[in-house]
Amino acid sequence: MKRAFWSAGLALCLLGAACRAKPEPEAAVRTPSPTARPALPALGFIDESSQGTPVDGGVLRRRLFGEPTTLNAVLQSSAPEAQVLQYVQRNLFDFDARLELVPGLAEALEASPDGLSYTITLRADAVWEDGRPVTSADAVFTIRKIVDPKIPANVFKPVFEEFESVEALDGRRFQVRFSRPYAFRSMAFVLPLLPEHRFAGQNFLKSKQNRAPLANGPYRFISWKTQESVELERNEKYPGPRGHFDRIVFRIVSDNTTAYRLLLEGELDEDQLDSGLKDRAVRDPAFAACCRLLEFYNLDYNYVVLNNRSPFFADPRARRAVTMLLDRASIVRGLYKGSARIISGPWAPDSPAYEARVPPLPFDPAAATRLLDEAGWKDTDGDGVRDRDGRPFAFDLLVSAGSEIGRQIDEMLSAELARVGVTARIRTLEWAAFVEKIDAGDFEAASLAWSAVDPNPDPYFYWHSSQCSPNGLNNGCYASPEADGLMETARLETDPGRRKEVLARLHRLLRDDAPAVFVVNAAQKVALRRRIRGLTTSPLGLYGIWPGPLAWWAEPETGKAP
Amino acid sequence: MTAYILRRLFWAVPTLFGISVIVFLLLHLAPGSPGAGGADSLRRASGRAAEEMRRQYGLDRPLPEQFAAWIGRVARLDLGESFADHRPVSERILEALPHTLALNGLALFFALALAIPLGVVAGGSPESAFDRASGAVLFAMYSMPTFWAALLLQTLFAVRLRWLPLYGTAADAAPAGLAGLGDRLAHLALPVACLTYGTLAFVARLVRSGVAEARTADYVIAARARGASRGQALWRHAFRNALLPVITLFGLLLPALLSGSVIIERIFAWPGLGRLYLDSILARDYPVILALSLLSAVVTLAATLLSDIAVAAVDPRVRDGAAG
Repeated sequence: MKRAFWSAGLALCLLGAACRAKPEPEAAVRTPSPTARPALPALGFIDESSQGTPVDGGVLRRRLFGEPTTLNAVLQSSAPEAQVLQYVQRNLFDFDARLELVPGLAEALEASPDGLSYTITLRADAVWEDGRPVTSADAVFTIRKIVDPKIPANVFKPVFEEFESVEALDGRRFQVRFSRPYAFRSMAFVLPLLPEHRFAGQNFLKSKQNRAPLANGPYRFISWKTQESVELERNEKYPGPRGHFDRIVFRIVSDNTTAYRLLLEGELDEDQLDSGLKDRAVRDPAFAACCRLLEFYNLDYNYVVLNNRSPFFADPRARRAVTMLLDRASIVRGLYKGSARIISGPWAPDSPAYEARVPPLPFDPAAATRLLDEAGWKDTDGDGVRDRDGRPFAFDLLVSAGSEIGRQIDEMLSAELARVGVTARIRTLEWAAFVEKIDAGDFEAASLAWSAVDPNPDPYFYWHSSQCSPNGLNNGCYASPEADGLMETARLETDPGRRKEVLARLHRLLRDDAPAVFVVNAAQKVALRRRIRGLTTSPLGLYGIWPGPLAWWAEPETGKAP
Repeated sequence: MTAYILRRLFWAVPTLFGISVIVFLLLHLAPGSPGAGGADSLRRASGRAAEEMRRQYGLDRPLPEQFAAWIGRVARLDLGESFADHRPVSERILEALPHTLALNGLALFFALALAIPLGVVAGGSPESAFDRASGAVLFAMYSMPTFWAALLLQTLFAVRLRWLPLYGTAADAAPAGLAGLGDRLAHLALPVACLTYGTLAFVARLVRSGVAEARTADYVIAARARGASRGQALWRHAFRNALLPVITLFGLLLPALLSGSVIIERIFAWPGLGRLYLDSILARDYPVILALSLLSAVVTLAATLLSDIAVAAVDPRVRDGAAG
C-alpha cells in the first residue's frame, strides 16, 4: 500500500501577488527548526490529545481538494476519498501517530513461523450500521475483490501481490496465505472491509454502494452532492469511542484562495496551505484572529529523477555532479523560509528507513566540475558547453504544469548547471502528458514530488533494476547489482534491527550513486480554526492515522459564525 | 422559409459528423491516457487493472473501430459510461447541467436586458456626456479579467458587507420553499454578476454603434420628417436595424449557456459543466469529453440556425435571398 504522486496543479495561483514569495518575518508560527542536515528520526510532533476536556457536539467543516470518484473503500485512489472513508469505515488495523499498528475492526493478528500465513481475529462487537455483524465472510469478499485482476484496487494490490489464498476459519477468524514472506507484510492489514451482503448480485464497479457506503466506523454517510459536499453524521451503532462532532461536512473546494476565505469566514475549519497562502496568512491579522498555522514534517519529499539509461546520466560521477550542483541549503532558506530539510536518499528523515548518519552530498561546484571532467565531459569545441564523443551535454528537464516548487527547483539547478557548461532546458508539460513520459521512461530528467500515505519504506518497487520503466516504477531505471541485492535482503529481513542496517547501507549507496537528485523534505502547512482542539500530527500528516481527526473536538464558538 | 430550414438541418448532420471526427482524433492524438490523471495516481499495480479497463472499454482496438463504435452508440443516444466512476455519462452531465443553465441563463438574460437600453440611449445621442461616461465604464468592464472581478466582488459583498454568500449553490441548511429560492438566488448573484458584465459591455457597445450609425440614416431622418418623436424614431426605426448584428451575436452567445465557465465555477465552487469538462480533460475521461464536445457542437449549430432564422424573419432581404 504505497502511493506516489507528482505534485499536480493543486496550487493554482489566481493572485500573482499571493503566490510570490516575499521575505517577511514570521510571527506566531510553530515552525520546526530548520536543519542543514537531516535531523534524527524524531517524532517532535504536535500532540494535543491530552489538552483540555473534549466537548461533544457541533459540526466539523473540512475541505476536500477535489471530488471523490467513489466511496467504495476498495476502489479508492485519491486523498479526498481516503479522507471521507476514514470516518465511515474502520480498517482491520491502523497506524497511530507513532506509525505503530493499532487494532481497529480486528483485535489480533498472528503470523505463522514461516511468515507466509496470517490469521486475523475480528472484534466480536464490530457491526455494520444496519445491525449486521462484521464477519470473516466480509473479509474474504473484500480480499477476493482486491486480488481480482478486473478490479482496479490500486491502493491495496501491491501488498497482495504474492497473495495465495484467503479462507474463513469461523465467523470471526480468517486466514490469508502468501507465496513469499515479506518484511512489511503486516501493512497489508491496514485494510477496510466491505459489507458482502450489500454487494450481492450487483456489478461491483457500478454498485449504488459506491456512492453511499455502509458504515462500520464512528460516522455514517448521509449525502454526497456532486462537486459540492459530502456529509456524515455520528454512527450511534459504532461500539468504539464516540466521535465528538455530531456531523462532519466535507466541502469540495478546489480553489485555494476561495478555501482560504472560507476558513477566515468560519465556513471551513481546516485547510492545507500552499506556500503563497502561508505567506499571506502570517501577515494577515484576520487570520491571526480566527486561526492558527501548524507546520510539521511528513514523509513527502521532492526529487529530480535522472534517466540512468541516458548517455548523460549513465555514469554515476555525472549524476553525483548534478546533485552537487544543486544548492539545497539555499532552497531551504529561499523557497521554504527554513521549514524544509535536505535529504540524502529516497526517504524523508522521519521514515523508519532513513539513516541520519548518511549526510547529504555538499553543494560543491568545484568538486562537481572535477567529476564531470573525470566522466569525460569536457568542452572540447570551445562553445561553452561540455561535450563527449561529439555530443553536447544538453538535456530537457521536465516539470508538470502547476508544480510551482518543482519549477523553481529546476530553475536553480539549470542556472547552476549552465555555470559549469551543462545545458538543462526546462520543459513544462500538462499533467497527463507528463505522467505518460515518466511512466514510459521517455525523459532525461524530471522534477517529481513523492507523497507517502503509509510508512512502508520498501524501496524495491522504485529503485530495483527489475522494476525499470515502462513496466515498473523505477522511472529513471537505476540498475546496480549491489543495490538490488540490498533491496532483496531488506524486504525479506524480518528483524527490524538487521533490516535497518541493510537499509542504511543501501541509503549510503543511493546517496553516492545519486540515481536522482534528492532535494528536500518540506514541512506541511495546515491552517485550523482556533476552536478545533485535540490535534495530533504525524509523519503521515494529520489524517491517515488513528485516531487522528477522529479525536478532534471543538470549543463552542463564542464569536458569530456566518 | 421551410425549405431553407430543412436544408440547414440537413447540412447539420455532416457538420456534426466532421466535428466528431476531429474531436475524437484530437483526443486520441493528445499525449496522456485515461487512468493516469488525477493528483494521486497510484501507478504500481494499476498496470493489469488499467489493461483490463482498456480492454473493457475497447481502447485496445484500432481508432476507426473505436470511432465507429462510439458514433454508433451516440446515434442511439447512448453517451457511454465515464471511465472515472463508471456512471452513465448522461447522468453526470444532467447533474451539472441545471447549475450551468441557471448561472449562464441568468447572465445572458441580464447582459441583454441591460445592454440594449444602455446601447440605444448612448447611441441615440453620440458624444453626449452619458455616451462618453457609459463608454468609459463599459470599456473598463470589458477589459477587467473575470477572476479579478470575482475576488473583488467576494471581498466587498461577501466578506466586508456580508450581504451575499461567498460561494456554492445553497446554504448548508437551506430552508425550503420561498426562503430556499431566495437563498439560491443570493448564491447566484455574485457569479452571475461576474459572467454578465463582460457580455453586457460588449453588446451595449455593439448596439450603441448600430444605433448611432442608423440615427443619421435617410429612413430615420424621413421618419422624423413624418413627425415621429425622437424616441419613436430611435426605438422603432434606428434600433430595429441595429438589432440585426445583435441577433447574429446572440447565436454566438447562446452556446456559452452550456459551455460553463471554468474559472468562475472554480472560484465560486459551482458544480457546473465547466468543472466537469476540466476534470474530465485532466483525467482523460474520453466518454465525458466527447459527450460534452458534441453537446456544445450541437448547441452551437442550433443557435446559429436559430439566429439565422431570426435574422431572416426580421430582415426581408436575407429571407428573400435565402428562399430564392
